[in-house]
Amino acid sequence: MSEFHQIASYKPRSPNYRLLPFRFTELNDHDYVATNLAGEYLVLAKDVVPKLINHQLPTDDPLYTELRARHFLTDHTTAIASDLLAIKVRTRYERLANFTSLHMFVVTLRCEHSCQYCQVSRQSDNKLQFDMSLADADAALGLALRSPSPYIKIEFQGGEPLLNTDLIRHIVTEAERRKADKEIEFVIATNLALINPEFLAFCSEHDIKISTSLDGPRDLHNRNRPRPGNDSYEKTINGIRVVRAALGRNKVSALMTTTEASLSRVKDIVDEYLAQEFSGIFLRPLSPYGFAIRTKSYMKYNTERWLDFYKQGLECIIALNKQGIGFREFYASTILAKMLTSGDPGYVDLMSPSGIGIAAVVYNYDGYVYASDESRMLAEMGDQHFRLGHVRENSYDDIFLSPKLLKPIEDSFAYSNPMCHDCAFEPYCGADPVFHWALNKDYIGRKPESEFCRRNMAIFQHLIGLMHGDGFIRQLFLKWANRC
Amino acid sequence: MKVDVTFDSAAFSVDAVKMACYRFLDRFTSDIELREGRIVCHLDFGDKLAGPSPDAHVESFKKEVLDQDLRLKLKAETEPIRNLILAHAFSKTGLIADE
Repeated sequence: MSEFHQIASYKPRSPNYRLLPFRFTELNDHDYVATNLAGEYLVLAKDVVPKLINHQLPTDDPLYTELRARHFLTDHTTAIASDLLAIKVRTRYERLANFTSLHMFVVTLRCEHSCQYCQVSRQSDNKLQFDMSLADADAALGLALRSPSPYIKIEFQGGEPLLNTDLIRHIVTEAERRKADKEIEFVIATNLALINPEFLAFCSEHDIKISTSLDGPRDLHNRNRPRPGNDSYEKTINGIRVVRAALGRNKVSALMTTTEASLSRVKDIVDEYLAQEFSGIFLRPLSPYGFAIRTKSYMKYNTERWLDFYKQGLECIIALNKQGIGFREFYASTILAKMLTSGDPGYVDLMSPSGIGIAAVVYNYDGYVYASDESRMLAEMGDQHFRLGHVRENSYDDIFLSPKLLKPIEDSFAYSNPMCHDCAFEPYCGADPVFHWALNKDYIGRKPESEFCRRNMAIFQHLIGLMHGDGFIRQLFLKWANRC
Repeated sequence: MKVDVTFDSAAFSVDAVKMACYRFLDRFTSDIELREGRIVCHLDFGDKLAGPSPDAHVESFKKEVLDQDLRLKLKAETEPIRNLILAHAFSKTGLIADE
């Protein structure tokens, strides 16, 4: 018998560690994704998770230190771990305490375009009864300025808001007069067809940003967005040019919407955004509202087809970056900021508690207040479930303590929803009660059958899978996350 | 197509099995029966099943029950923070009256 013990007897014993809350979900046949309370993730081989949870993971396992550093477990050497985790969690939810920061004013529902997929059910441009009144605008501004947020964004929506520039001028001027110590940012969501030098001078004077729609190359854009003269693309491109000249390059951004005709054109769409010298693109599916439902545009492609489109687009964008051309996909950037930083970019669709009312609110052209842009789209389809009150008839407390707002927020809170509560991707995902109400008349929906869940889960898994297998992509995604 | 899957109730909780059934509701409906120390799941795939075979779904379902069992164990050891987060969300609004 040797006088020495075997080497194994000198190894640390199974440690007395304490688990911190975390969740795990399958990534592929071999791995799980595990996320801690602050949303930090690790990819773990499937055999590691039972060992970890059953307190059988030895301290000399290379993963032990990483799990401890990322706050999945704590032991006697890490007394500060729970405090650090608490700070990260507080940082993650910091935005919530500021309450509503995005205030959307629908200054008119009139529009001179006639897009088949219009999600707001626009009215023709001669129907003045669809303009917001001065009295309603003043009352809505009072509600917006009552928000505890030190920073608010006022976004002018339509219809086409440039059909009611007088009211935009009034709201901007009044907001600046009444803002006290608040910081206010103004954005106009416009198709740019009616932009003119005089109004651009006003925008320049008040530092107003422009958000426009660009669906892709000329033929695709004009097919998606009909207007008299069939020249929507020409108007938009010219508009982008004159806005940049008057306001500066970074004052105009663009959004695209995916129709069935877009599905085979993702490279063309990305190339169009590159040609117009945008720094990135937001590849967006259609939402189940407005004319998108009435004209059946929404039903023309399913989640799987959209995911193929999205993944192809992402591949194309990554290839550009590998060639040294800096270009981003903004939806991925938003998710990556949630995955790779302690911050939350505050994208309403990907918030839990849901961002309806508490992150964004809509003052409609008729003075009614809606919990989100999608809520007013639903109202135009006859479902006023998320109408919270009227700007002149109800107080701030009436509106923001309305059961019509609190119940969907509370019921849809993903932390306590079936399947979401134990999903590793919950920190990146959102509750979106309006989407589920629109499709199921239920705030939660059945998650195994939910398109929202299927679409987002697939994107989360895809992004993590890409980072896990490619160092270049990991670095690129870190860059996107930190610029979001 | 109908398949019965059985779990020992000494090893698995009914909650773990129910949560796994929920996660598979887009693939089969399920009836859960407790019988002589066993949890018997009657799975009904109907006639609309697309994609993998029922056997593959049953195999995934069994793995999911194991996952759910681990999740319950993890949950029992850690604390939910839901109310803390919601209180934080509304903390500066002036909408919550002092207790």
